[in-house]
Amino acid sequence: MNYTKQIQDIAGRLFSEEKIDVFIGYRNTGFDENQVPVLINQYKDVDQLLFTDKSVFNLANYLKYEHTRNKRVGLVVKGCDSRALNLMLTENQVKREKLFIVGIACEGVVDETGGKAQNCVECVMPDAVVFDEMLGTPSGKRDYQENSDIRALDGKSLTGRQEYFEEVFENCIRCNACRHSCPLCYCSNCCIDQETATLYHGANTTSSAFHALMTWSLHLAGRCVDCRNCEKACPSHLPLHLLHKQNEKVIYENFQEHLAGMIQDDRGAFYKYSLSDPDDFIM
Amino acid sequence: MARVGVFVCFCGANIADFVDVPAVVEEAKKIKEVKYAIDYKYMCSDPGQGMIRDAIVAHRLTSIVVAACSPRMHEKTFRKALSDAGMNPYLLEVANIREHSSWVHQKDKKAATEKSSDLIRMAVAKSMANEQLHEISVPVTKRALVIGGGIAGIQAALDIADARIPVVLVEKSPSIGGKMAQLDETFPTLDCSQCILTPKMVDVASHPYIELLPYSEVLELDGYVGNYKVKIKRKASYVNFDTCTGCGACWQKCPVKVPNEFNMGIDKRKAIYSPFPQAVPNKPVIDAEHCTMLIKGKCGICAKVCEKGSIDYTMQDEIIEREIGAVVVATGYDLWDPKPYEEYGVGRYKDIITSLEFERMVSASGPTGGVPVRPSDGKIPKSVVFIKCVGSRDEAKGIEYCSKICCMYTAKHAMLLHHKVHDSHAYIFYMDIRAAGKGYEEFVKRAQVETAATYLRGRVSKIYKKGDKLMVRGEDAQIGQVVEVEADLVVLATAVYPYKDNSDLARLLGISYDKYGFLSEAHPKLRPVETAKAGIFLAGCTQAPKDIPETVAQASATAAKVCGLFAGDTMLKDPMVSTVNTDYCTGCQNCVTVCPYQAIITEEIPLGHGSKEIRTVAKINEGVCQGCGSCVAICRSMAIDLAGFTDMQIINEIVSI
Ligand SMILES: Cc1cc2nc3c(=O)[nH]c(=O)nc-3n(C[C@H](O)[C@H](O)[C@H](O)COP(=O)(O)OP(=O)(O)OC[C@H]3O[C@@H](n4cnc5c(N)ncnc54)[C@H](O)[C@@H]3O)c2cc1C
Ligand code: SF4
Ligand code: SF4
Ligand code: SF4
Ligand code: SF4
Ligand code: SF4
Ligand code: SF4
Repeated sequence: MNYTKQIQDIAGRLFSEEKIDVFIGYRNTGFDENQVPVLINQYKDVDQLLFTDKSVFNLANYLKYEHTRNKRVGLVVKGCDSRALNLMLTENQVKREKLFIVGIACEGVVDETGGKAQNCVECVMPDAVVFDEMLGTPSGKRDYQENSDIRALDGKSLTGRQEYFEEVFENCIRCNACRHSCPLCYCSNCCIDQETATLYHGANTTSSAFHALMTWSLHLAGRCVDCRNCEKACPSHLPLHLLHKQNEKVIYENFQEHLAGMIQDDRGAFYKYSLSDPDDFIM
Repeated sequence: MARVGVFVCFCGANIADFVDVPAVVEEAKKIKEVKYAIDYKYMCSDPGQGMIRDAIVAHRLTSIVVAACSPRMHEKTFRKALSDAGMNPYLLEVANIREHSSWVHQKDKKAATEKSSDLIRMAVAKSMANEQLHEISVPVTKRALVIGGGIAGIQAALDIADARIPVVLVEKSPSIGGKMAQLDETFPTLDCSQCILTPKMVDVASHPYIELLPYSEVLELDGYVGNYKVKIKRKASYVNFDTCTGCGACWQKCPVKVPNEFNMGIDKRKAIYSPFPQAVPNKPVIDAEHCTMLIKGKCGICAKVCEKGSIDYTMQDEIIEREIGAVVVATGYDLWDPKPYEEYGVGRYKDIITSLEFERMVSASGPTGGVPVRPSDGKIPKSVVFIKCVGSRDEAKGIEYCSKICCMYTAKHAMLLHHKVHDSHAYIFYMDIRAAGKGYEEFVKRAQVETAATYLRGRVSKIYKKGDKLMVRGEDAQIGQVVEVEADLVVLATAVYPYKDNSDLARLLGISYDKYGFLSEAHPKLRPVETAKAGIFLAGCTQAPKDIPETVAQASATAAKVCGLFAGDTMLKDPMVSTVNTDYCTGCQNCVTVCPYQAIITEEIPLGHGSKEIRTVAKINEGVCQGCGSCVAICRSMAIDLAGFTDMQIINEIVSI
């Protein structure tokens, strides 16, 4: 998968036609094989852009910051990224007419070992669902499959799972990188930071991390698109996808096979009421 | 410094038997902020409230916790005690140690006692973040909307209008009157239905405070109690009501014949018609589905014969908007379709009719001139079988409930039959005779004696045809045998059932309904005419089966409610409403989506101080907000707080135990 040339061409064209103010893409780190996101502001920088299976990050995240706010933005989105973008559009965080979206028919990106990333193996929708121009050949929606780590966890006893998660949460240093890297965590005053939210207070105790991460994951329930931007950002390497994939599974199974961000104007299971919603878990 | 007073109620034995009340008081005294704690047998009694009032003054209390029954019961009582003592009534917290503790933990006094103490601890902690709140005053539009012009709607409209409050009465059919206009004589006094109804209908038409909108339907209702906006569709009648005199030349000459709904399809009406001679308004409408002029552009006779030139084939539906403050829903009932009773041959045998068809036949102004006849051959029936509870009280085929009026009107029908066909005999299959009501039992007795009708207790299992007779086979439970009755005519007392579109109307109004489509009252005993939505009331059979006396009583009750609501120029409303902290709001509009009362809109504010760029945030109309808390729960960034249940108050509660 290499769309470097096409993306450089598109970005160049958009700048020369004065259709955008910023282009969000990927470039080399300059010191290793990996790539980092880059915000290009002028025509002459477009040759920095590239796109390969190392273009792992979700660029929709950069739409929530000052640099892009109220500007005309071009950006590249893979399938998962585009679903997050769809939700940002639905939740009125960006205006469609200000965007030029380069959609990718994605073939999967790599993880740190160089193999195909787990979320890409399990990916339900590799093609961008919202775009102005599409690169690659769309392969269509795939069947939902349960995450293999969740299956393994489900095998554990309740106390076994509790012990496991206590151990996991112990490593959190409350840096909030997970939140900052998630395109759907766009709140300027996140609940976790608020004065009243004493449950999350306490610099980095297991309990405060537990409450903060649980709340965070619930705020993404029915919205998380499994791009794993958060997990990539976490300096302590917490397996954050476990929280999200568990939520995703429960929602998929109980709310008419709902998957986040697939269509516009769909706010997700928690944000709409339908007469066919299950209520057997309500006492 | 906070000075909290805790008042623990015995509730007679209700709490004291299962909770160690003195121990709870001692435990409360240990809480730092609690400066005074005491128990009493009945806190809600006058002396109990007196204790609260006195302690507030004597101990300079700054907030009050009453540990007693559910706040639904007595929160208002205790708030009043606070304000009587000069304290803001919203500084009260109720710890529900009855429903939430003593009643549910009757087997474990120790645990119930501990839980009661916990509940008090939480209430005290919550009260630390309590603020003085003030009732919100909202202006009221003193005009009422009545939907449905049956006897319920007519009575409600007249009573409200007599109090000089303008009423908009919306009726979907061409005339008001409802089912009562179709009845002959009415139980329990056998007075003529039309004779007592028509004067009221005329009063409606001539009342200076009533705007009658016949042939109309409600499309939309926006707003909130005291300040609703309603959109009404006035269907095109193709007749200019201002010039039409109701002379009838048009419908006499119209060549198109259509089954007459008012007479249950027994005879025909024309395509231009007025449903019955006493109709109000007494002006015809053109039935667009059948008029050949409107369908194919051929005919035009009515326009030719109308001397006033009132016919207008180009007339369009009209949308009417009105501002109103309250709504009375009086959309009545339909009859349940007995199709599932296949074994009766419903639909196959012409001589099986419904009670309302019988009612039309015996009516002096009805299609058969007041005598019952067999639809098959027009002969006068001598042997008539009445079957009660068709659909009612039949979980398997019909519905669970009792339709309430069928026992009475079937006794009436036996009498009417006896009066009209002297040598006839009535057989009545019944499950029970339910005749609770003033003069009702006496009426049934009278019917039994006068008519000598044969009452057979049991359900009918089969009806089949033998020659030109119908054989009705059923059980007579009193003799434990199967009986067969030879009948000329069979009358089914089919269940009272809501109109199919009643639930659509409910959704449009934002009120709830039961599984059948009857509209739901706010409380079955204590608020039987209110709905859960403030300012919307229920009258008549739209809520449940009722006879005329009950319908009229409920209709007048709604009028009292409307008048009460409109007593002042403004209305006071609970201050428990939500507000948005725009600094925290992201503009995601999830709250807008979830608010069940459409209380939330969006507004545009500057991006930052003095900024020219704008951003969109949520804004809550405190007049509409009912304080349900849905938006608070859905808002991820905690931008919404509900007065009386702020995040701080709830968190205080959680951390206190
Ligand atoms: C066979 C029979 C005999 C009866 N005999 C007696 C008797 O002898 N004595 C007695 O006390 N009771 C009797 N009743 C009961 C009596 O008919 C009812 O109690 C009474 O009619 C109820 O009045 P209502 O106004 O609630 O409903 P209705 O009479 O049904 O009036 C409802 C009105 O609302 C209108 N409407 C419906 N939906 C809408 C809408 N969406 N928008 C606008 N308008 C709408 C309808 O067109 C109708 O005009 C009898 C009933 C039956 C079936
Ligand atoms: S999850 Fe799907 S869309 Fe996202 S990078 Fe992997 S394969 Fe591509
Ligand atoms: S965790 Fe919740 S409140 Fe915080 S930024 Fe994410 S969505 Fe917003
Ligand atoms: S929670 Fe993590 S995986 Fe989910 S959308 Fe946000 S960044 Fe992506
Ligand atoms: S990024 Fe990792 S360490 Fe930082 S807050 Fe999130 S989970 Fe904790
Ligand atoms: S849910 Fe919260 S953040 Fe979203 S619009 Fe409403 S108040 Fe604002
Ligand atoms: S509390 Fe919120 S959701 Fe409930 S009625 Fe008020 S504004 Fe609507």
